[in-house]
Amino acid sequence: MKKRVDSPSALRHLNKLRWVVLTLIFLMLILLPFIHLYQTYVAAHAYDLLLPHEKTIYDVMEWFTAPFVNDPETDLDAIKGTTWSGTFFGLQLSDPLAVVSQVAASFFLYWPFILTGLIPVVVTMLLGRVFCGWICPATFIYELNDTLAAWMRRAGVPLGDKVYDKRIKYLILLAGLVLSMLLGSVMTAAIYPPAIIGRELYYAIAQGAFGSGAVFFILTIIFDLLVARRGFCRYLCPGGALYSLLGRYRVLRIQRVVEDCNDCKKCNVVCEFGLDPLQDGFGQECNNCTACIAVCPTDALVFKVQTHDQAFQGPGHLGHAYRNQQVEEKSGG
Amino acid sequence: MRRRRFLQTIGAYTALGVVSMIPYGLARLLSPSVHAADHAHIPLPGALADPDAFARACIGCGLCGEVCPPRCVEFKQREGGSDVNTPYIDPAKKACILCNKCMEVCPTDALTVIPIRDVDMGIAQIDRAACYPWVDEGVCGACVAICPLGDSAISFEFANIYKPAVQEGCVGCGQCVEICPEPSLPIRIVARSEGTVAKHGVATRRRSY
Repeated sequence: MKKRVDSPSALRHLNKLRWVVLTLIFLMLILLPFIHLYQTYVAAHAYDLLLPHEKTIYDVMEWFTAPFVNDPETDLDAIKGTTWSGTFFGLQLSDPLAVVSQVAASFFLYWPFILTGLIPVVVTMLLGRVFCGWICPATFIYELNDTLAAWMRRAGVPLGDKVYDKRIKYLILLAGLVLSMLLGSVMTAAIYPPAIIGRELYYAIAQGAFGSGAVFFILTIIFDLLVARRGFCRYLCPGGALYSLLGRYRVLRIQRVVEDCNDCKKCNVVCEFGLDPLQDGFGQECNNCTACIAVCPTDALVFKVQTHDQAFQGPGHLGHAYRNQQVEEKSGG
Repeated sequence: MRRRRFLQTIGAYTALGVVSMIPYGLARLLSPSVHAADHAHIPLPGALADPDAFARACIGCGLCGEVCPPRCVEFKQREGGSDVNTPYIDPAKKACILCNKCMEVCPTDALTVIPIRDVDMGIAQIDRAACYPWVDEGVCGACVAICPLGDSAISFEFANIYKPAVQEGCVGCGQCVEICPEPSLPIRIVARSEGTVAKHGVATRRRSY
C-alpha cells in the first residue's frame, strides 16, 4: 500500500520556518549596530552636524523605529547584543560555551552570569542542538556556502568532500577550555563562528572596520567549500561539541517510520551534518533542523518524544530491499 | 612490545592534542599582542582593577560598546593576544560620560555597577608646560567646565584663575582630555597610583561618604 504523496504533513514546512528564523536573526545582527549608531546620534542632539551618510542612517532608523519607541535613547536598549551574549527585553541570555569558557578562564563562579546560560542549556537538553540549526548566524552563511558548493559541483568544479572523525570537535572544546585556563582569556570566543559573526558585524558597522575574527571566519568558509562539506560545524566547532553533549538525551527527536520509508536516501544526502537517517543513525549530533523531513517524499520522518534513538529498523517497507526480503521469506517458508 | 604499543598510544594522543590546538593557534596568530602607548588605552568604568583579571572575565560580547551613548568604547579588534576583543577607551578620541550603561549591561563580572565617584579609570594629569593658562596666563577653563564631577575632580587653583588643577575626586573619565583645545594633548589619564593631585601628594581614593 503506497502512501499518497499529495497530502504532505505540515512538518515539512518547518524547514522554511527555520530559514525565516535564521534570516531574521542574521538581519537582526546587522540591524542592531545601526540602531546603536542611531542612538548615539540621538544622544548627541546634533542632527545638523552629522555627515550626509550619518544623516541617512539617522533618517532610515528613525523611520524604522519611530512606530515602536517613544525615547530611542533608552527604549531601543531592549534588544542588545549577539547570540554570544545579549539582553532581550530585560532577559539576559548567554551562550553556554561563553559560560563554560569564562568559568574555565577566571576560575570563579559569577552566578549572575552563569544563570544567563540556564535557559539555553535547558532548551538544548530538551530539543538538542537546535541552536546550530535554527539560531546560529554562522549556519546561515555556511548553508548558503553549502548551496554554492552544490552549484559548483553541478557545474563540474571538483570540490573536496572529505570525511573526518566527528569526535575531533570534542577535543577542540577540551583544548579550548584548557587553553582558556592556561592563557587567562576566553579562547573559545576567538574561533567560535557565531560569536565571531556577531561582533565582527558590530565592528564593521559601528566601529568602522572588521577585526581579525573576520579572517578566521573566511578561512572556515574556504575550508567548508574546498575540503569538507560543512566541515567546521561537523568536525571542529567547540560550541557544537558542547551542544551535542548537552543534547545527547534530548527529548524531541526526529525518527524514521520504517513502514513509510522507501529507502530513497534523500535524507542522508541532504543532511548538513552528515548523519544517517536512512539507518536510524541520528545520535547526539542531530540538530532537529528538519531538512530531512522537508525532503522526504513519503513523510517517513517524524518528530517523536523519546530520549533514545530507535535501533536500526531494517530497510524501509516501501523499498525494493524490503519487498525482495518478503518474497524470499514467502518462497522460503 | 607492550611498551611500544603504550608509547604509540601516548604519541597518538599527544599528536591529537596538538592538532586540536591548531584553530586556536591560527586565531592567536591573527591577533598578535601589540600594545600601543598605555595612556591611550584606559579601562572602562567599573572594570576589574587588574587588567589580567579583566581579560579573564571578559567574554568579548561587545555589549558595553553597543549601549555606549557617546560610542567611546573601542575594542582590540586586531591586536591584543590574550585580551583580543576586550574593550578600552581612548579619551583623546572620545571620552566616557559616566552614564553607567556599560556596567549595567555587562553579563560577567568584568564590569560591575559601582557608584560614579568610586569609578577608577585613572586620574587626569595636566602638563603645565603645555596648558595655555599655565604657560602664558591664557583664558581657557574648558576642562573645568566639562568635568561631570565638578569641583571635587578638577578646579581652578586658588588665586590662579583659569589655571586648572586636578583634585582627589577625579575618576579619570577623560572628558577633559577630549575637550582640551591644545593640540599637544596636555592632559593625560594615568593610573591612579602614578598620579598626583593639586597638593602634590600621591592620590588616594576618597571614600568618606
